[in-house]
Amino acid sequence: MTRLVLSGNYAQSYAARLARVQVISAYPITPQTTIVEQLAKFVSSGELPAQFIKVESEHSALQVCVSAAALGARTYTATSSQGLLLMHELLHWASGMRTPIVMGVVSRSVGPPWSLDADHTDTMSQRDTGWVQIYPESNQEVLDSVLEAFRLAEDLAIRLPVMVAEDAFYLSHTVEPVEVPSQAQVDAFLPPRVPKGTLVPGKATRLGSYVGPADYVRFRREQARAMERVPETLAAIEEDYGRRMGRTYGGLVQEYRTEGADAVLLTMGTASTTARAVVDELRSEGKRVGLARIRVFRPFPAKEVRDLASRVDRLGVMDRSWTFGQMGSAATEVAAAIQSSPRRPRLSSFLAGVGGRDVGTALLREMFRDLLSKEPSGLRWLDMDPPKEVPLHG
Amino acid sequence: MIEIRFHGRGGQGAVIAAELLAQAANLDGKIPQSFAFYGAERRGAPVVSYARIDDRPIRLRTAITAPDIVVVLDPGLVEVAPVMDGLKPGGTLLVNSPLPPERFPTPKPAFVATLDATQIALSHGVGSRTMPIVNTTMLGALSRVSSVVSLSAVQHAIDEHVPARPAENGLAAIEGFHTVRVAELPGLPGGKAPSGPVAPALSSEVPEGPIASMASDVLHTSSWRTLQPVITREKCTRCNFCWKFCPDNAIDLDSEGFPVVRNEHCKGCGLCAVECPPVAIEMVVEGGA
Amino acid sequence: MAKLTLPPVELVRSGHSACPGCGPALAMRYLLKGTGERTVVSVPASCWTIIATGYPTTALRLPMIDTPIEATGASISGLRAALDALHMSDVQVVGFAGDGGTVDIGLQSLSGMLERRTDALYVMYDNEAYMNTGIQRSGSTPEGAWTTTTPVEGMARGKGEPKKDIMGIVLAHHPVYAATLNVAYPEDFLRKAQKAASLKGPRFFHVLAPCPPGWKFASDQTVQIGRLATDTGIFPLYEVENGKLRVTRKLGQLKPVRDYIKVQGRFGHLTDAEIDTVEHEVQASWAALLQREARP
Repeated sequence: MTRLVLSGNYAQSYAARLARVQVISAYPITPQTTIVEQLAKFVSSGELPAQFIKVESEHSALQVCVSAAALGARTYTATSSQGLLLMHELLHWASGMRTPIVMGVVSRSVGPPWSLDADHTDTMSQRDTGWVQIYPESNQEVLDSVLEAFRLAEDLAIRLPVMVAEDAFYLSHTVEPVEVPSQAQVDAFLPPRVPKGTLVPGKATRLGSYVGPADYVRFRREQARAMERVPETLAAIEEDYGRRMGRTYGGLVQEYRTEGADAVLLTMGTASTTARAVVDELRSEGKRVGLARIRVFRPFPAKEVRDLASRVDRLGVMDRSWTFGQMGSAATEVAAAIQSSPRRPRLSSFLAGVGGRDVGTALLREMFRDLLSKEPSGLRWLDMDPPKEVPLHG
Repeated sequence: MIEIRFHGRGGQGAVIAAELLAQAANLDGKIPQSFAFYGAERRGAPVVSYARIDDRPIRLRTAITAPDIVVVLDPGLVEVAPVMDGLKPGGTLLVNSPLPPERFPTPKPAFVATLDATQIALSHGVGSRTMPIVNTTMLGALSRVSSVVSLSAVQHAIDEHVPARPAENGLAAIEGFHTVRVAELPGLPGGKAPSGPVAPALSSEVPEGPIASMASDVLHTSSWRTLQPVITREKCTRCNFCWKFCPDNAIDLDSEGFPVVRNEHCKGCGLCAVECPPVAIEMVVEGGA
Repeated sequence: MAKLTLPPVELVRSGHSACPGCGPALAMRYLLKGTGERTVVSVPASCWTIIATGYPTTALRLPMIDTPIEATGASISGLRAALDALHMSDVQVVGFAGDGGTVDIGLQSLSGMLERRTDALYVMYDNEAYMNTGIQRSGSTPEGAWTTTTPVEGMARGKGEPKKDIMGIVLAHHPVYAATLNVAYPEDFLRKAQKAASLKGPRFFHVLAPCPPGWKFASDQTVQIGRLATDTGIFPLYEVENGKLRVTRKLGQLKPVRDYIKVQGRFGHLTDAEIDTVEHEVQASWAALLQREARP
């Protein structure tokens, strides 16, 4: 284990190298570029003996990975925003063919109008493509999640693609210390991929046939079952990872000071770190508040959310994307999950951090204030004032 | 409400037949619905289409599993497709065949009607020998054997909606009306239909994911055929052109180099006959009729 | 008994779902006889998606991957990368795509694969329209042809634009080998397939694959019409290796294009004057091809 100061993007590249990926394919897009630039260096220097296929579009990037994975190779790609949207069709192919691809996504707003900043519209609009979605909150967690993602994706009971989505700039271009495990540690945790359901040269094997309705629904059911096995499988993988590397992230939903809380805020990605600090402040002021971070959004942690809901009266969800006619994207899913809960807390949806708007402590305090007030607003677009904060970049 | 199922071959006009019936029923002042599920059908392959006719708005958007009437556009399909499946007791089976109705016994008591629609259509110049278009002739016959549609409505529908040779199609429909024969049959002992072809069995689980590895030659594409090649061995020079140009790999060469048609896979395209230099192959009507 | 001019190995199985007399079915059969058993095939949405039969059966004795219609170039780059990474570099990679999936929606992916110098063979089987969806015009449909989206109605005379020159586009990428092939000439087809299989780098085949329902001719005429396409000069057979062009079926006097056009329902509306125009164009392009061949 070595401590390096790395950006979230480099954490992706280092993890892919440590995973000994065999085929990489990518197309550049801001703010993903440094992931693939670093991988290009690893490949060129010989540190990573992989095939790096530089393609003419994201659509082709994912098709390269799908076809390579269909033959049994370990594959990695990375993209962001518009690139992820262009991959949309192939996202379904990857999951339908049960190819264990791992993809780094730098979560960025979607145009128009053009914007390069943190936002979850890109990944949220792909939530029903059959990919596991992990949303780390630190560069360390990015690296650890990519390694766990390969183990999860290639688990013979799962065989589903996984995206590890990091917030644009807040992780992608932020540098901080990252414990980088040794190759021997990673090799012991992540053995070579065992091919199953793959094409075999010399043998009649067709992947992607057309089927009748009766078979189609069976394939979809199998895919859904595999997704249902993710929580248990990931828990076992995390436990093993923790034993070897000394770090775990609490499964699908990571709770913080929720015991005896009157109000709990649900967050995803980097807002969670700041929110944790705000919780500490408010607790020291005598306010009984807590935080729960949705680390894995697909499969949606309905059981964990229901369990949380049974313990609190006020639940807020912060979203960086929304569902038209409803509320925040995650909030709508939380609402659906707690619908069958024996005890349903009052639910609030906060839109914040949209299109790169900074999610500062004041904003998070406002969310808790609203939650604890006599009449919570229910649905609020926060921080709609003209910009005044110093932009994080350019 | 009357529910009708059409059986035909890809390219033969089964879907058009159901649509044309709907147009005709509309002209009769009834409320029709016609539909088909398709996407993977090939020319010659068995296909089905459906129609519902009622006096009131139809409140079903589902498949038809127990038809009142079954119309079979191609006589060969009786052997290879499950045409009698679900036919209601007392229903009607209408088959394009020169044979008498008694030759098509139904599982349950039913009215069976036959006519040589192929001959009628060809005599009016509708379609070709390899692909006769019999749907209009069959609709004429249908208007005779059931009250579902009138002959005049069928004629009007043909005039309005058949782009090629509407006059000839109309005459074929009239001849179909006048030539069809009907018999009331008692049903088969045990009420079972002769079993049709069986689809490959699938395992109930698909643990390997969507990998297909079963050999396609379990599928017998001979059911697509209306003509079959007959090789005259005495004329054959063993040049193997027929083997070379067969798109279905349905010709094997025996130990002496003579071609042997693998009957279960030949689709009857006739390429071998055309390409045979000594003209040793003749395409004859399936079943030797 | 005549000697077999094609290898007896059959890598396409019977029972497949091609229409009777299908040109693309012959194309796959001849191609795999040339590339051999160690071949992986990538097929986008096209007639061959259906021809290969539905799950759980398959008409190939080899691995085949399905892809969306526009992705063949990328797919074969991925297959090649995986085979090289997994130490199976001996395996041939073949993309087998229709004309619409190549000259229209798949052009970017094809260009990318050629530019990346992917070691794979891209085969475009050209039945000159979107046949799998029921005969809609593609960029590869010839001028004047009837399709369901280029009807012959009123003033409309079928497709109003000429066929896209895919070989010109491909050759601008300088592949190691590119050739035109025709299912009506299996021995020429086989020789080119074997040659392509012996080379490394990006390779491209433009295969004429006549379609009885789409071109509107009887199912027993596929080979006759295929021969006429080449012998009238409409679809000349040639190969380009390292930039050097060679006509592989030499023709003395071209047959009249009328012989080819008159036997297809899709051209049934063409007048003598229109056919004469085609004749002049074909003569000019044939002459240009011979000139190119003569270039050192």
